[in-house]
Parts: sequence; C-alpha cells; structure tokens
Amino acid sequence: MSEASVASRSLLAELRTLFRSVGFRLALNYGLLSIMTMAVLIALFYIQTIGVIKQGNARLVMNSVHRLENLFDREGREGVAGIIEQMLADGAESDNELYLLLDETGAIVTGNLDAVPDLPSNRERVVERTVSRAGNGVDAAMIARRLPDGATLVVGREMSDQRSMERLVERALAAAAGVTLLFIFGGTAWFRAHLESRVEAIRRTTLGVGAGDLTIRVPATSQEDEFARLDADINQMLDRIEGLMDGVRHVSNAIAHEMRTPMTRILAGLRTADRSDSTLEQLRDANRAAIREIEALTQVFGKLLQIAETEAGTRRQEFEPVAADAIMRDVVELFASVAEEQGVTLVDETEAGIMVLGDRDLLAGVAANLVENALRYAGSGARVRVGAARDGDDAVLSVVDNGPGVPPAALEQLGTRFFRLNRSLPGTGLGLASARAVVKLHGGTIGFADARPGLAARIRLPAFDA
Amino acid sequence: MWRCLIIEDDAVNAKYVADGLRELGHSAIVCADPVAGLQAATDQDWDVVILDRMLPNGVDGLSILATMRGIGRKTPVIVLSALTALDERVRGLKAGGDDYLAKPFAFSELAARIEALVRRARTDATPAQLAIADLRIDLVNRRVERGGRQVQLQPREFRLLAYMMSHPRQVLTRTMLLEAVWDYRFDPQTNVIDVHISRLRQKIDAGADRPLIHTVRGVGYVLAEDPEAYLGRQAPRR
Repeated sequence: MSEASVASRSLLAELRTLFRSVGFRLALNYGLLSIMTMAVLIALFYIQTIGVIKQGNARLVMNSVHRLENLFDREGREGVAGIIEQMLADGAESDNELYLLLDETGAIVTGNLDAVPDLPSNRERVVERTVSRAGNGVDAAMIARRLPDGATLVVGREMSDQRSMERLVERALAAAAGVTLLFIFGGTAWFRAHLESRVEAIRRTTLGVGAGDLTIRVPATSQEDEFARLDADINQMLDRIEGLMDGVRHVSNAIAHEMRTPMTRILAGLRTADRSDSTLEQLRDANRAAIREIEALTQVFGKLLQIAETEAGTRRQEFEPVAADAIMRDVVELFASVAEEQGVTLVDETEAGIMVLGDRDLLAGVAANLVENALRYAGSGARVRVGAARDGDDAVLSVVDNGPGVPPAALEQLGTRFFRLNRSLPGTGLGLASARAVVKLHGGTIGFADARPGLAARIRLPAFDA
Repeated sequence: MWRCLIIEDDAVNAKYVADGLRELGHSAIVCADPVAGLQAATDQDWDVVILDRMLPNGVDGLSILATMRGIGRKTPVIVLSALTALDERVRGLKAGGDDYLAKPFAFSELAARIEALVRRARTDATPAQLAIADLRIDLVNRRVERGGRQVQLQPREFRLLAYMMSHPRQVLTRTMLLEAVWDYRFDPQTNVIDVHISRLRQKIDAGADRPLIHTVRGVGYVLAEDPEAYLGRQAPRR
C-alpha cells in the first residue's frame, strides 16, 4: 500500500471519527443552517441595492432620450446634434453620458461612441451593452430611438457607479461570508470541545464505575444546564447502585456468617462423636443434633429464597380484595393465649371495613410476625395494641407496644436481612425482612417509630374501595 | 403400606422423598419424565401421587393433575411447588381434595400431609360423632366428653379438637393445625400453636389416667391412646 493511500485512509478515518461526533454534527448542521440564512439575506440585500441603482440609471437614460426627442420636435436634427455636442463638452457628468446621433444611412453625425452598438430601436426598455468609447470598452445602459426624419438617436449611461457598487457589495459580502465561515468553524470546534469536556467527565466516571470503583461520582459543576441535570441523575443512580451493592454484600456476608456458626457446631458435634470408643447412642445423638441444625439451616435458606421471590414480586395480579381488619382481629385471637401466658395485654383496636387488595395468608403472616416480635420484646406487663384504620387513601395496620422499644439508631435497620437487635434471643433475623418484602409486594410501606415508650410498627397499604 | 408415585425430575429430591416413604414402610416409585409419569398415574392404582410443579420441557405438574381428574382418577395428589405459596392455582388444590407444599420442606411435614390425604380419601363422609378411648365428641351438638364427664371448650378449642379427632393417630404439624383450625397458611415463628394445644390438653387430659394428646418432637402433635406403637413409625427423625 502506498504512503499516500495510507495517509488518505487515515485522513478518511479521522474525518469519519469527526463525523461520528455528535457535537461536531450538531455544530456543523447549525453552521450550515446559519450559512444558508446568511446567503439568503445577502442575496436579498444584493438584489435590492443593485436593483435601485439600475432603475436610477434607466430612469436617467429614459429622461434624457425623452428630452432629446422633444427637442427634435421643436428644433430638428441640427438642434439635437447641437445640444448633444454641448452636453458632451460641458464637462458635467460627461464621463457617464453616452450619446450617438446617426443619419438615415447609419453614418455618425455626432456622439462620443466609436461604433454603432447593435441595439433594437424604438423600444421603451433600456438594455445593457458593452460599447466602445474613445477606444475603451464601457458597460452601459442604452436605448436607441428612430427619429421621425429617419435619423437614429442612441442615449446611454455608463454603469461604472453601478459596477463599483456591485464590487463593493460583493467584497463586503465575501468578507462577511469569510468571517461567518470562520465563526462557524471556530464555533463548531469550540462547541465540540465543550461538549466533549462535559461528556468526558461523565465518561470518566462511568468507565471508573465499570472498572469496579463504585465510590466515584461525576464532579459537580457550577452550571445548571442539561449536563448538570444529567450529572445529578447519574450520581443519584450511582448512589442507589452503591446502596444496593452494599446491601447485597451485606446479605452475602451475613449469609456466610450465619452459615458458619451452625456449620462449626455441626462439625464439632460430628467430630466429637467420631471416635473409636463412641457408643452407638452417642453416634446417634450426634447424628440427630446434626440433622436438627441442618434442618434449621434449610429453613433459613427457604426463608431467604421466599424473600427473594417475594421481592421479585410478579404475582400481584392474583391479589384479591381482603378484609385487613379481619386478618388483624384473627391474629389477635390467635395470639391471645400466648400473650396471656406471657403477661402481655393484647388489645384489639381495629376499625371495621378496612379493605386492601392483597394476599390473605401473606398479610396474616406479616401481622403475626409483628405481634410475635412485640410479645417477644415488650416483656411481661406490656400492652400491645393491634390496629387497622383508614388514613386518606391508605389502610394503616399497626402493632404498637409500650415495652422498652428500639434504640433510634437501630430503627432504620429493622427489616434488614439478618439484623437482630438482641442476638441472645432465638430468631433468624429474617422475619421483618420477609414482612418488608411482602408489604412492598402489596405496594405499601412498613415503618418503625418510637412509641415513647415502646415500638410502633405501621404498615401502609393502598386501601381498596369496591 | 401405601403405593406412592413420585413424579419429580430432581433426582436428589426424589430420592429424599422416596427413601423417607420406604423408611415408613411404604413402596415408592419415582418417575422423572412427565409423560411416563402421566402414564403411570393414569394406568395404575396409587394411594398417593407426589407431583412436582416444575417438570422438564416446561411441563407444569398441574397439567398432569388436570388430566388425571379429567379421566376420573380420584387418587389423592400432593403438589410440590418451588414457587412460594402465592399461586392461587396451587392454593385452589385444597378445594379439590388435594394438597400442596412449598419447597424446601421438612420430610416430616410432607409425611404428615400425605397421611392426612390418604386417610381422608379412604374415609367416607364425616360422622356426627367421633370417639377415641374415653374421649367423645359430638360434632352436631358441639359437646365433648372425657370419661363420661363433660368438658367445656371455647369455639376455637372445639374446632381444634374436632380436627384432631377426625385425624386420629396421625401426626399433625403446626402449619396443618393453623390451616385447618384458623384457616391461615403461614409459618408462625413462635409457639403459638403449642399454647393452644397445651390449653386444650389441660381440659382434655387433666385428671385422666392416660393422656391422649401427644407431642411429636420437632414435628407436631398426635391424638392417640397408645402413641408409642406408631410414633416410631410415623415420625422418623429425618
């Protein structure tokens, strides 16, 4: 391959890259549009200016020829010849004026033209011709008239002023076009560079994030343009992704941790039993203990899967209208005897007719979970109030206890997988996470607040009106 | 001994269920292929069919069940579903005399549900009166007697006892009791069912020379005169 073709190829490639740049294309299109607008404006200006001058010249020529014709009527050919000679000699405007008087045979009687121009005679219109005067060609607006005695009168006006004006306008236009082009190219380059610098900041960030660094953000700018809004959106998205990633990381760490403890226990139990002097009973006990632990683990995993599946939430279309207040009352009734045994007063504060669109069993599971938590943590002598009420367009299901409550810092973490307030009490740390997933599936929210004293758990679901 | 057909393509799970059933003294045949499974389910007589929901080639186990019912096969079927208990179609099984269980499940739960299904299929309409040892329950007049002495029960306690009496000598899990007596299906995390049972037990077994309600550790409860005879058989520790 020759060097030239390589060079032309790389130039082509560069041009193609340039054309692929959105900034360049945008600026170029904009520039082309400006050029077209300019061209139209210039053309109009040109035509108007030159047109005015042209009309002026034509009027002068016509006036002159009419005057001479009148003179002919009064004073005949000699009078006309005399006035022409006088006008050409007076020096006023004589540079611009062109006259020629011919006799019947076409011989020049008088005038300042070297030859007879080829002109149609007796027309009312002025035409443009290049004629010879004193050996020089001049552009002129001319008219020829046949006089009643057979002579021909030619009157013209040199168009030098028109030509010079034309040249002036053309030069001005060329200069303007040049400056415009310069501005357009410069503007395109600047626009493209500016666009690229703004995009570059975003690209650097996304590349960094793609490479695995979730902490970087698009740097803030003082501008408040489209890019600033895009930057803000991207940063917000990255915040959310980072949060989700942290959540996933936390969950997998928690799973690993939650697994390790029972695994260690199982291993220790089996190893202890696995000795040559172990009795059959010892081996069997170890086996049973291992099975129990593994069953508990299986339950944890089942629960995790269930939460994941609920969170994926694709089955909402199977929901039916259910009486949320009835579910809450059933749960109160179900737990009444447990509460009694624990010395806790379970109070039914449900209002009637609270309907939501949902799944009865799932909602009952959530309510049971909240009541179980309240019974477990509120302690003997506590009061647990279970409510179902309407608040605007929402149905609010609540379980409020007056026990020791939850430290404010931990309120936020309730419902996180494996988060447990008190690790010495039995539990998987998945109950509230599952409740949160179910409530989310129902299009609602679950919130925990300080009941001063105690914990208030409130579920907000869109109320269903038949 | 029951003849059990397991239609399940997951070999590990199928073996887990089959081994468990064989350990209980039943015979278990495994079919991994849906077509062969459908053929076996319709051609032969079974006491129970254990049917996986998700079978190879995108076959939904429920379509096999529908075909069986379509040709008049009344074999009890328990559907194993990897999907959560959210599916109304699966839940609808209960109305058709069948049952479902979401994976993963404890074998004891499956065994208890199979037992309830098979027995229900074998018994005729519920009688007005049930009796076990010296415990009698009159379902029409809602009266309970233990050793000739009348026992006063709350309505919910009565439903609980009636359900247990209609499934005597069967292990009933806590979720089965919650489902049958309270009509909710979820896993209570606490001992809520145990408290209800213990209250019922106090009223039924208090003062009697031998208890009738027995705890099956880690599984549930059984109502029986002599639990030892089959507790070992019914509730293998798996």
